[in-house]
Amino acid sequence: MHIMEGFLPLGHAVGWSLASAPFVAWGVHSLRRGLRERPERRMLLGVAAAFSFVLSALKLPSVTGSCSHPTGVGLGALLFGPLAMVPVGLVVLLFQALLLAHGGLTTLGANLFSMAVVGPFVAAGVFRAARGIGLPLAGAVFLAACLGDLATYLTTSLQLAWAFPDPAGGFAASLAKFAGIFAITQLPLAVSEGLLTVLVVNALARFNAEELQDMPLFAGRGARA
Amino acid sequence: MLIEQSAYANRWRRVSPVAKGSFALAGLVAAFVAASPLAAGGVALLLALATCLAAGVPPGRYLRVAAPALAFLALSCLSLLFSLAADADGGLAWQWAPQALPRIATVATRALAALAALLLLVLTTPPPDLIALLRSCRVPEVLLDLMVLCYRMLFVFSAAVRDTLTAQAARLGHATVRGSLRSLGLLAASLTVQIWRRALALHRAALARNGDGPLRMLPAEFADAGRHTALAVVAGGALIAFAARGLQ
Repeated sequence: MHIMEGFLPLGHAVGWSLASAPFVAWGVHSLRRGLRERPERRMLLGVAAAFSFVLSALKLPSVTGSCSHPTGVGLGALLFGPLAMVPVGLVVLLFQALLLAHGGLTTLGANLFSMAVVGPFVAAGVFRAARGIGLPLAGAVFLAACLGDLATYLTTSLQLAWAFPDPAGGFAASLAKFAGIFAITQLPLAVSEGLLTVLVVNALARFNAEELQDMPLFAGRGARA
Repeated sequence: MLIEQSAYANRWRRVSPVAKGSFALAGLVAAFVAASPLAAGGVALLLALATCLAAGVPPGRYLRVAAPALAFLALSCLSLLFSLAADADGGLAWQWAPQALPRIATVATRALAALAALLLLVLTTPPPDLIALLRSCRVPEVLLDLMVLCYRMLFVFSAAVRDTLTAQAARLGHATVRGSLRSLGLLAASLTVQIWRRALALHRAALARNGDGPLRMLPAEFADAGRHTALAVVAGGALIAFAARGLQ
């Protein structure tokens, strides 16, 4: 993911920014309300944003005007809830543009929509569904992180395919082209990210079980894998 | 970080971030309103020259910062040159699409110009000045707080990751693919636990100093901010005019 600066046409850049704006407003509102109740989360979210930045700075090039890397959105969504990940994702993407020239300002809206809106909401939804049908914690965490990651990249493929439809096959052929190229790097990465997230949640369950119980998706579910 | 080094050591370090932000914004606008690929390429060249010659960013460093983005751009333009279409047997096959060349030229030069505008801003302005600029644009305080904390902790975590990787490598933790994956998992897990503890320690330290509100720093003072901003607006306007009506 991370569509590069200036790559999207103006209409798409503005459109994706407008599509992301309500989620940012909702996320900031929810964050303000959450911080009033739990002020200690402020530091945690800031530190988590830095962690996410460090994690997502490990990148692999992909042949689609974009690049692939662990997103960390699954872990973030599981720990803080998908809404909190919108402002955190905004900060991470902004710093990636400002400190690494990775992504960009005109493509911030599109990147935000895929990485901080679609990815976290899919991860949280998959986690709830998996726990709802009785999957063990490790399985639910793996599926959530893996599918959250894939959803992020599928959204980026959709965005690129919409902006650059194939001259012969149109949108569908373009989507097949972008998604196919992404799949080469992203499928193994999604599995790795799923396994990595299970390891992290296991470590938290072992060393920080009490704090984990306070997190929205783990509350009252038994954190130990 | 290369960008950080340039941001703190360039001739425009003491120029108001509002002026640099305005000029970079004009560069972005110029990239999108460019009348032709040649005009967009001209905008990219002018912005790169401004960054290297006027702001004094070494060209070698500029190219090293831009290299990953340029590589992505080259690969992405290559992907646009191929089309996925049905072949004679009814299957899908990759086909050369020369009719996409004009569109690729437009996209590539626009991306180059926009990248040059972004680099002009980030290579001349340190993040604390950019955060102050965002504060003056009335960005919500809660987001600015996250940015300040994130920026502060980035270097701590980068150092922790580097040190842990060195320690793991010294114990042959990355000698095999399997070992490398396991080591990466251990690194991420231990870092996550560290994050939790550091965050709690920071919160307690802030509370001990009555710090229960937003994190505010003294804003930097910039001499001649008004004159620099006026100059940037004029130069930015000229750049947009050049892009819109320039080389056809």
